[in-house]
Amino acid sequence: MSLLETAELTVRFGGLVAIDSVSLGVDAGETVGLIGPNGSGKTTLFNAITGLYPAAGGEIRFAGERISGLETHAISRRGIARTFQSSRLCLELSTFDNVLIGLHAHVHAGLWRALVERRRFVAEMQAALRVAGHLLETFNPDLARRGFDRARELPQIDRRRVEICRALVSRPQLLLLDEPSAGMNPEETAQLMQDLRVVRDEMPGLAMIVIEHDMYVIEAVSQRVVAFNYGRKIAEGPFASVAATEEVREAYLGRETASSA
Amino acid sequence: MISVWAVEAVVFALVVAALLAERPLPLAATAVTLAAVAVLLWLGPGLRRQLGVIFTRHRRAAWLGGAVFALLLPAALRGSPYWTFVATMALLYVTIGQGLNFQIGTAGVINLAGAAFAGLGGYTVGLLTVGLGVPPLLALLIGPLAAMVVGAILFVPILKTRGHYLALVTIAFGFIFNILMNNLEFTGGPQGIKNIPTLRPFGHVFSGPLRLGDLVLPSHANFYYAALVMAAVVTLGMWRLHNSWLGLALNTLRDDEIAARCSGVNVARQKLVAFSIGNFAIGLGGAFYALMVGFVSPPDFDFGYSLIMLSVIILGGVDSVPGIVLGACLLIPLPERFRFLHEYRLLLYGIVIVLMLLFRPRGLWPASVRRFPLAGASTAPSATSPSDRIVPAKPALESR
Repeated sequence: MSLLETAELTVRFGGLVAIDSVSLGVDAGETVGLIGPNGSGKTTLFNAITGLYPAAGGEIRFAGERISGLETHAISRRGIARTFQSSRLCLELSTFDNVLIGLHAHVHAGLWRALVERRRFVAEMQAALRVAGHLLETFNPDLARRGFDRARELPQIDRRRVEICRALVSRPQLLLLDEPSAGMNPEETAQLMQDLRVVRDEMPGLAMIVIEHDMYVIEAVSQRVVAFNYGRKIAEGPFASVAATEEVREAYLGRETASSA
Repeated sequence: MISVWAVEAVVFALVVAALLAERPLPLAATAVTLAAVAVLLWLGPGLRRQLGVIFTRHRRAAWLGGAVFALLLPAALRGSPYWTFVATMALLYVTIGQGLNFQIGTAGVINLAGAAFAGLGGYTVGLLTVGLGVPPLLALLIGPLAAMVVGAILFVPILKTRGHYLALVTIAFGFIFNILMNNLEFTGGPQGIKNIPTLRPFGHVFSGPLRLGDLVLPSHANFYYAALVMAAVVTLGMWRLHNSWLGLALNTLRDDEIAARCSGVNVARQKLVAFSIGNFAIGLGGAFYALMVGFVSPPDFDFGYSLIMLSVIILGGVDSVPGIVLGACLLIPLPERFRFLHEYRLLLYGIVIVLMLLFRPRGLWPASVRRFPLAGASTAPSATSPSDRIVPAKPALESR
């Protein structure tokens, strides 16, 4: 049985069917690349998995339990973390703040410890800072050193890294990456692929779904590729075979007509 | 260390002079000195930085000196009970401002009914003590709880609204509160509630003079010291909450609700917690006010006061705990100094808000980046017991 399973999942916005009975499975330790033209429902799938959009039909199961219908924060607590296509860092908060919020559901210190029983609160906070610091260091030692600078002061690639750290700091079982290379130049994209390899090496059990338009990234990081078009799954398999599928080529390049020859 | 105390002594002397100077010559002299100090601080960033350095280096001494001068203030003002009263009001606004700032600044829950929640605290004290004969000290604790409970009920419609609509709901609540208080029989209608008994802990009557050996202070000094303790405790509490997991979660959901939800934050619950904690502090300020003044009536808690509370936050610094103290201590006494302008002095609040939003939108003392208790490399590791582990498994990616 797969870690994440969607069964005949359908998402509607009024009359528009954004996701049309998609069945998909992701195993622990697997990286799945999700491709498709703009508007084909890739991000909508992420939003449905994380509970931001309700499912109109079908269901989503995670680690054997049904999660469709749960609230977003409850789904997050079960071990599904994500990043966003356009950065959702809190730019006025520090780098450490942005990473530590990922531990929100895993900390024990409530109001009483924060106000009165300071020793245990401080101990927990320091442990959390160490975890966050180690994680940041694996991507860029500079990030941990400048952890108390505002996130606004970071370059694009580091902001993306901080977002990935925020998602990873609670050691989730499934990571959803929504176009991590968006807005990056080729050099930064190469660094990003290196970063994803680090994640893969360090957290072997982690399942990942990566939405990407950059086919080099998809080819490099994913063991399996799923292609979407108009909210439907049109192909699935190793990169080479999906890329060779007629329907996928049509979705990206358009149909070849007799006159165009 | 001496330099820190010297600076504090100068500030203290200037404050006392600014409050007490009555005749034209001393008044002018103080005004000129204050202006000179302001210009000096404004133009000399080096001076400001140097002050910052010595105050951080001698943090303990600075706190000690500040506490001593805060305790000495009523003695310095003993010739004028009125200014002791104004100083006490400033401390009440510190308490209320901290509560409101926790809602508006930290959590982004815009509450424009601060006065109504203070009024809930005040009226509860009035009803309990006058109507039911509850001891004042007990009523002082129940008052803020009433503000908290009513706030939690109001939160249900608030939860369904966002942004500006949220502000509108609270404005409406503020007016409803005022209209109710004006028209309900048991709250005394426009007359309000009179003859609220004063505090008398350990037999010491707060409405009588305060004798410390040979020194006799006016009765307002009692309330000043009580308000000082209250403001200090509330400020420390808010500082700790702001620099805790709760403060972090609230800041995150204020800046990006989607990101917060996807990080496992139960947004509705955390907002309710922030709203309730804030209303507790606001209600506490109102309850204390009722006991100090001895009566409550609707105009004491009308919309204008909500705006004054808001200006305290804007002047001091949104989401800045020390900024609120500064804001309240400047904004409350200052208009009293300009009483000769009569009603026009209320314009001051409007002018302050406009000027601040134009030129210094982050306030006089902007919020700094959250400094969690730092992981001092030498002290940290041993303090962690297994039950305090953040994540069940070993820390992420630590093996490298």
